Amino acid sequence: MQQAYIKFHQVWKRFRRGEVHDSLRDLLPAVGRGLFRVARRDQSTLRLNEFWALRDVDFEVRPGQALGIIGGNGAGKSTCLKLLTRILRPTYGAIEVKGRIGSLIEISAGFHPDLTGRENVFLQGSIMGMRIARIKEKFDEIVDFSGIGEFLDTPVKRYSSGMQARLGFAIAAHLDPDVLIIDEVLAVGDSRYQDRAFGRIRELVSSGIPVAIVSHQLDRIATLCTDVLVLDHGVVAFRGPPVESIGWYLAGSHTVAVDPLHPSAIQLVSMKVVGGRTFDSGDRVCLDLRGVVREGGPRDEHIVLRVYSTTTAALVAGITTEQCSLPPLEEGPVRIEISFELNLRPGVYAVEPFVVDRVTGNDCNVGPNAYVQVREDPGFIGTAQLRPEMQLISAPAESSPPSLL
Amino acid sequence: MNSMPPAASAVTMPKVSLWQDLTEIVTELWQSRELLSQLAKRDIKIRYKQAVMGFAWAVLMPVLIVMAGLIVRLALASVGGIQINPSGAGALAVKGLCWSLFVGTIGFATASLTGNTNLISKVYFPREVLPLSSLVAQCFDTSIAAIAVAIALPFLGLKVSPALAWVPVLVLLLVLFTASVSLFLSCANLFFRDVKYLVQVLLTFGVFFTPVLFDAELLGPRGAPLIMLNPLAPILEGMRLAIFQGHSLLQPLELVNAKGLSVVVWQPWYLGYALAWALGGLAGSALLFHRAEFAFAEYV
Repeated sequence: MQQAYIKFHQVWKRFRRGEVHDSLRDLLPAVGRGLFRVARRDQSTLRLNEFWALRDVDFEVRPGQALGIIGGNGAGKSTCLKLLTRILRPTYGAIEVKGRIGSLIEISAGFHPDLTGRENVFLQGSIMGMRIARIKEKFDEIVDFSGIGEFLDTPVKRYSSGMQARLGFAIAAHLDPDVLIIDEVLAVGDSRYQDRAFGRIRELVSSGIPVAIVSHQLDRIATLCTDVLVLDHGVVAFRGPPVESIGWYLAGSHTVAVDPLHPSAIQLVSMKVVGGRTFDSGDRVCLDLRGVVREGGPRDEHIVLRVYSTTTAALVAGITTEQCSLPPLEEGPVRIEISFELNLRPGVYAVEPFVVDRVTGNDCNVGPNAYVQVREDPGFIGTAQLRPEMQLISAPAESSPPSLL
Repeated sequence: MNSMPPAASAVTMPKVSLWQDLTEIVTELWQSRELLSQLAKRDIKIRYKQAVMGFAWAVLMPVLIVMAGLIVRLALASVGGIQINPSGAGALAVKGLCWSLFVGTIGFATASLTGNTNLISKVYFPREVLPLSSLVAQCFDTSIAAIAVAIALPFLGLKVSPALAWVPVLVLLLVLFTASVSLFLSCANLFFRDVKYLVQVLLTFGVFFTPVLFDAELLGPRGAPLIMLNPLAPILEGMRLAIFQGHSLLQPLELVNAKGLSVVVWQPWYLGYALAWALGGLAGSALLFHRAEFAFAEYV
């Protein structure tokens, strides 16, 4: 158990773009080359229509680590996982996976529509590498978890897509792997199912096995992972703790077209979180914002900090320098300390400083972002931290009836 | 950050010998025996679910072949003014069974990889189980028909003799050869989608190049050895000679055909020839399959 790990050694993967037009004519020479390995082409060059899906990707996941892989569409995330599960082989480099892989990828791929739920549990289970004896042993648990009990002997083609996904996940969740690989399986089903599935994944992750997760749900990544790797066009662009990586990934998602004729008088140079980036809901966060005010002063411009949720990209709050009655900025370098309470639900939040024209209300400049995480708290309900207070008033003898006014 | 991959010479791909590959194939298959049985069960269940014919389906194909064979023989007999061999129907039934096992398996196996695209591109397991599960499912069908034929055999000229011991050997050869063809064609069809049309044509006309509807001696002293070049021919003919002539396959055999010509229908080395095809073919196609396997997910 302690030895299970995942290793990517300088992995390169080449793909072909577009249709592959092959005819039988090419079969025999190709077979000859493949079987006897004669006359290899120079593998390091790209032919027409070929591209590198992964370039020099290098990482390692040890027991107790959960690696999140994030990136835009086509960044190579799923390719990474397919290489891990041996569905694809790398063009270069080596991949080592020690231990039995359990993959939560396309959890209902093996279902046959004409077979019943019961038959499909056995089929899908053995496709995922479970022993029949093991499936029999876990059968009741799987059915329980899926919650499709009464439809067990109905052909799967009559199931709703949510039911299929639930059954698939239930099987996958009972794999007991040494190494776990997860690809975007949380995006299906209703929210109650999602929470249950998420809870099960968290259980598996916290059992200490090495885990690799691909997801677009950044807040899930932030809570599950110990490490996050950002892929950009097949290259590892960043690797670090979740909040920093997510921050790196989201940086520059809001841009402002700067008017060259009327450049903004305030240039924002840096913004840093003072102390750690992880907080409990309701904690006070302190930011250090630095910038330069150009000759002529800030005219009609003020600074607005916008707080975005990284999960929903929704604007959560805005903080203006006016609101905090900051004295007018002078020419030259400025340093502003900003603090506010994170009365928010758990998740990762981006704080973005903008320079806004007070008259037109237009954004005229944007500065570097800062990211903060509100720690996951199972007891948290809703979206806002109301800092509630309750007191028990033990005064039983106030006999006047409650007034309706 | 590298923008260019290492030069081809710098890449050290581990050299794998053919023997290592073969042992890997066998161990992987052994480990996935349960998956193989599950997939075969799936194929069988699907065939009999929502089907009108049910198990009669399994018997239909051999029955059709026997009828086709009888018509061919009747036609030949009436044209040539010759007599029909009384054990003809029995031989037709046995050969028809073997032929339907071969044709049925190839038909399903060729499409077995392309028909499971979602599995191949999403889940890892030894891909060999897909065409092989078609074979297992077809064996199930054929054995149902075989039971029916076995019951009828005593009335169709069965000759009880020690030579019957050759039947299981020939069945094994047939299964191995069918497995090798299935592996090869399923793999070929994944890379070249026109293979399945070619296979359809070959299976339709293959019956004329294989002694199913006729016996080898019908082709005369020159034609008989020629048709034996078909790897299936020694298996089918051996089956007939062992069951209906009580002939030990280690001895050559000459038969007099309907025209009175003496024809050598069996040479002991035919057995070795079929064995070479079965084992050599299986090893070759398994290796080819195994080496091409890693590219399946990209081409499927």
